Amino acid sequence: MTATLLASMGETGIGALTLYHYLFVSAALFGIGVVGFLSRRNLIIMFLCTEMMFQAAGLALIGFGKYHLNHTGEVFVIFVLTIAAAEAALALALVVLLFRRKESLDASDWASLRG
Amino acid sequence: MDAIVSPILLYLCLAIAGIGSVLALPRQKISPQLIGGAIAVLGFGLALVLIGLRSVPETLSDGAANPFAGDRPNPFFYVFALIAIGSALRVISHPRPVYSALYFILTILSSASMYLLVGAEFLAFALIIIYAGAILITYLFVIMLATQAPSEDEIGELSEYDASAREPLVAVLAGFLLLAVIAGQFSIGVTQVYRRELGRADASLIAEIPAKVDRAFERRGVYAGLGRMELGELADGLRVNPDRVSLVVSNEAAFAQSLTDERVSELMPAAVIDAVPRGGIVAGSIVSVQVPNDARADNLDGVGWWLIARHPMALEIAGVVLLMAMLGAVVLARRQVDLGEEEKIRALRTLADEVERSS
Repeated sequence: MTATLLASMGETGIGALTLYHYLFVSAALFGIGVVGFLSRRNLIIMFLCTEMMFQAAGLALIGFGKYHLNHTGEVFVIFVLTIAAAEAALALALVVLLFRRKESLDASDWASLRG
Repeated sequence: MDAIVSPILLYLCLAIAGIGSVLALPRQKISPQLIGGAIAVLGFGLALVLIGLRSVPETLSDGAANPFAGDRPNPFFYVFALIAIGSALRVISHPRPVYSALYFILTILSSASMYLLVGAEFLAFALIIIYAGAILITYLFVIMLATQAPSEDEIGELSEYDASAREPLVAVLAGFLLLAVIAGQFSIGVTQVYRRELGRADASLIAEIPAKVDRAFERRGVYAGLGRMELGELADGLRVNPDRVSLVVSNEAAFAQSLTDERVSELMPAAVIDAVPRGGIVAGSIVSVQVPNDARADNLDGVGWWLIARHPMALEIAGVVLLMAMLGAVVLARRQVDLGEEEKIRALRTLADEVERSS
């Protein structure tokens, strides 16, 4: 049953109601990511929350791509994956550097950067 | 239909979820994290149920039949959506970073399942391999690397910045206001986006990759009695009709023989099969052969074609971004070594000796 369902979904795409389901879950993940980014004080968790926002954008892109019956959304998700990998590499290198300076991951330790 | 769900009910559900999230965020004193998480998941679940109860009308406003009358997501979607949202909440509320990263992997896995449910197989597996397999492992490494080793008496204790969230109320207000606006606007806007015709994805794509049809015919033995076509000609034929290809009979005896194989005969029109015993098919007759299902363009063909032929620039920019990130990470992670004056002089001398010896 699942195989035929997968085949039919992939072939004819999805309608507006299914699209809205995807958009709602995507919006929920994005909102949770924003909450985490604003409220957590650990630098690593803050970057994890930005990754969650990327993930939400990817879900919306896949939904729109399947609604319009083309693959532009999927191609852009590949692009988002690349950006996420690049961001993880750079941000984590920065986090390690900052940790070496102050022996702490607390974001408010760096409040002096506010100027 | 003007809006998928009534905005008031949607905002109510999101308010419940927001109250739950405030309770779920970690706090210095004992906080009702579990109850908060349950309330938040309940709020999101109620919103999903509201959306799911919406029925798609049988006819459009102009009286025409609605092509998406039976439109419903796969029932598994609700399961994965709740797992994704629940584990996302746990990511932002768990006081221990390692557990947050592990819960994020769960979010990724359930998003990949949601990709699978709409038939984006390639991206689903790429997501698991790249995100859960590579990026999250990097995160785990850094979490292990950038945590002080606890001394004997404080094993099991949390660092102060993990144990309490900064301004949970303000953060939740900001995040959920944004979420309410996005979800509310989408529920109106999604009914107004360009209405596409009902059709099959990638139906015309097969004309761009005729070799796939050619190989499928060869595997099945269709070419035993039928003449093989140049790939360019085959592509022209597929462009006109992606479902059937007209081939010329080259050898009628071999053709009749090949029809005993079910894998060949199932592709032939009934009229041809009837005509063969009566001698109706001779060398030179044209037979319209059906394109088998395994030769149709699938998700992988589609993604590959759109990536290389339609959006090559995205691919190249992605490559440059990755290269720059690699260079940046190498420069950042390099450790600065401070040498004293004497050490510098000594190093210079060895270098000068080396140069002298080699010249």
